[in-house]
Amino acid sequence: MAQDDPGATESRGPEGLGSQVLHRRRLTGDAIFRAVTGAAAVLAFALIALMAYDSISSTGPVFDRFGIWGFVTGTRWSPSFTVYGAIPFIYGTLLTGLISVLIAVPIAIGIALLVTEFLPRRVAGPVAMVVDLLAAVPSVVWGLWGLLVLVPTLRPFEQAVAGSIGHVLPFLGPPTPGPSYFAAGLIVAIMIIPIVAAVTREVFAATPRLQREAVLALGGTRWDVIRQVVLPIGRTGLFAAIILGLGRAIGETIAVTLVIGNSTNMAGSIFAPGFTLASVIANEFNEATESLHPEALIALGVVLLAIAVMINGAGVLVRRRFERGLNRAR
Amino acid sequence: MDEATVDGDVVEAIASGSHVPVAAKADRVTGGVLRVENLTAFYGKRKAVRDVTLDFQPNAITAIIGPSGSGKSTLLRCIDRMHEIVPGGRVEGLVEYRGVDIYDQRVDPAAVRRSIGMVFQQPNPFPTMSIADNVVAAARFNGLVKGKGPERDLMERCLVQAALWDEVKDKLDHSGTSLSGGQQQRLCIARALALAPDVLLMDEPCSALDPVATLQVEQLMTELRASYTIVIVTHNMQQASRVSDRTAFLTMGDDKAGYLVEEGATVQMFTQPRLQLTDDYISGRFG
Amino acid sequence: MLADPVALLRPTSPARQFRTRLVMALAFAALVVALVPLAAIAWYVISKGIAVINLDFFTQDPPGDLSAVGGGIRNAIVGTMEMTGVAAVIAVPVGLLVAIFDVEVGRQPALVIRFVIDVLGALPSIVVGIFVYSLVVVAQGHFSGFAGSIALAIIMLPPIVVTTEEMLRLLPRPIAEGARALGLSRWRSFLSVFLPTAFSGIFTGVLLAISRAIGETAPLLFTALGNNFFSLDMSEPMQGLPLLIYRNALNSAFPAAEARAFGAALTLVVIVLLFNLTGRWMVARSRPSGGR
Repeated sequence: MAQDDPGATESRGPEGLGSQVLHRRRLTGDAIFRAVTGAAAVLAFALIALMAYDSISSTGPVFDRFGIWGFVTGTRWSPSFTVYGAIPFIYGTLLTGLISVLIAVPIAIGIALLVTEFLPRRVAGPVAMVVDLLAAVPSVVWGLWGLLVLVPTLRPFEQAVAGSIGHVLPFLGPPTPGPSYFAAGLIVAIMIIPIVAAVTREVFAATPRLQREAVLALGGTRWDVIRQVVLPIGRTGLFAAIILGLGRAIGETIAVTLVIGNSTNMAGSIFAPGFTLASVIANEFNEATESLHPEALIALGVVLLAIAVMINGAGVLVRRRFERGLNRAR
Repeated sequence: MDEATVDGDVVEAIASGSHVPVAAKADRVTGGVLRVENLTAFYGKRKAVRDVTLDFQPNAITAIIGPSGSGKSTLLRCIDRMHEIVPGGRVEGLVEYRGVDIYDQRVDPAAVRRSIGMVFQQPNPFPTMSIADNVVAAARFNGLVKGKGPERDLMERCLVQAALWDEVKDKLDHSGTSLSGGQQQRLCIARALALAPDVLLMDEPCSALDPVATLQVEQLMTELRASYTIVIVTHNMQQASRVSDRTAFLTMGDDKAGYLVEEGATVQMFTQPRLQLTDDYISGRFG
Repeated sequence: MLADPVALLRPTSPARQFRTRLVMALAFAALVVALVPLAAIAWYVISKGIAVINLDFFTQDPPGDLSAVGGGIRNAIVGTMEMTGVAAVIAVPVGLLVAIFDVEVGRQPALVIRFVIDVLGALPSIVVGIFVYSLVVVAQGHFSGFAGSIALAIIMLPPIVVTTEEMLRLLPRPIAEGARALGLSRWRSFLSVFLPTAFSGIFTGVLLAISRAIGETAPLLFTALGNNFFSLDMSEPMQGLPLLIYRNALNSAFPAAEARAFGAALTLVVIVLLFNLTGRWMVARSRPSGGR
């Protein structure tokens, strides 16, 4: 129906007055129809825009006090002293996001390759579905399991690493209390694997058949097919998948709150506790009674929103480039 | 990098620029290069082509003609073991290359495809590679050529052989897909030649090309004939009569499977075919 | 006798064959690594959750003091169903209308609408909670289940719009042209022909959107807030399953809270899976060959 010309209301009814009445009634009906659907769209977006406006304007006092730049680059967060700065949380968000992407992407690529290149078709479908089940588990349940099972299980490994390599590489060093950036990154990685794998799978499956056959007809192995055409042609799409995963990762709230340890200290180690933009809001909002505290938290929300929009915007651009490139390859 | 079993003879042959078929030593076994005996190809339970027996004349062009649905492309793809990559694809019968049954258990299908090259209906150069890289890509990943120098020599030689060198020598770093259709197809031919096959299979290589490009490719085929055994599938009868030395005519039988009707020297087939059916097809009375 | 193939042809070198096998092994390993957490969480939630679940669990409310043993999650289940139900009642019609509008309107406006919807879909859910808080909770002066519903509705809107639009665009041409040939007006065409034909696809989209919304916690934190008591009143703070799990998880030093959290988690996962798998099953049923 995308091919249909929109707004086509010509009718081919019988001639005569009767048809004119029918025609006008139909036009009115259609006009109302368009008005109603349009109104719904406009109203919905207007409402949401209003909400956004209300939220952002409530942050006025905070940005007045510290300046936008001052707030975004401020390193101290002390509600009791009415000092607010976003850096500890931006740091935590980006660090956790980076860790989660570093863990999730190779695994997702591996799964995607397995499904599109190695598994027989009948098995590939169910396998993909099972991986997607990871995404059906709600964030809070992952957080619960992460807190009570994953964190204690990880602790001895973290201590081992911190005690050995940690002496040479401080970001792998102590402290290792359990809840940490690393734990949060790991839990988020588990949560974004299904979406990154699904998109990557589509990217690889979109490799033109003609290209695959070219490699095979030239005496290539399955690895040659992957290396010569699947990965190069899918490069841009893969990048888009990674950005998509990163966008999801930074928005994760509840699972992160439960395993990240909730500390505004910016320790250098990934095994130290911390905060992300999303987790501090969840953690402090309902008890924010200090002066400007709620507004400062909302301001953090605005920062998070800005980062999310930037990352997802980049993703959309990359995805369009991928689609254009794919059309050229056909 | 660590391809331990590179065939020394072949590498030397490629490097020195003389085309040496991969196993000249095998000529003592049977005289021919390629033949097919009682070949039947299936898609699952359905027969696509049945009981084809053909000897392909070496250093000559054999055209396979026939209406659509007669299994011409399927037959072609059986020869370099490309039919079986399709789900349900199965082959019965014998395909003999230099005395070897290529469907023997011990045979690696990829090995067959290195000796029997294929050019597709739609030109398919690798889109993420330059022209230069396209030519040597297969030789490279098959471990047949190593080092910048030999690669460059190989690339130039193959592009010359494919009658493309003069047109692209100044833009070797341009993308493979930046060329016109006819040039892309010749690039694909160059890419196939880099493996030093001695058989070239061409599946309607000109049907996606304009008349000028078609003529270029046809001319190239006639030049290559001297050194390669070429089998071309075409639905264009004029092309078959222009270019080929021998012609085989396939058509779809009542069981919906293709079968070989008649085969012979091209001149003979087009002027005095033995069977009425052949004559009907060639004069355009059906198909 | 036919010649020896191994001597004649150039087989693939062992190194290359090894590379293919290695990559396949690594890819398989990746799958295993991804499935380990799935198995682990399934095991934990089921075993710890089952231990706590009995009839009382579903018919009683939680104790005021989370560390106390006993009680159930009745208010949370009811609250979740109510809030999600109201959210669906809001989001489904609005989503359908927006999707229809997007399909009807010209190419340029459609791109804009689609862009806004995509941005909306990419919003962190806690930001959605903040938005609703700033407008609804502040205006009402207090937290409410209704505010929670609005937040969930916003979360459900993008997936519903996207799926509906896709289903409408995928309608076979004969149907669209048939409606025109019959002289049906646009709105009649939609009501009587297009929507019913695309119904199962749209329904699946709705089911999947609901399954996602049911599991969301962050949007409810500052809207519905949570409630220890049983309440059907949407204008008051309301309890939801995810909220209950979250609060008990925070108190999980107490064994009673931990047990309650797992019982609620098991309940929540079962409900989410019900919607999720039903949706997928409907998709699989409508597609005869079942893609990758």
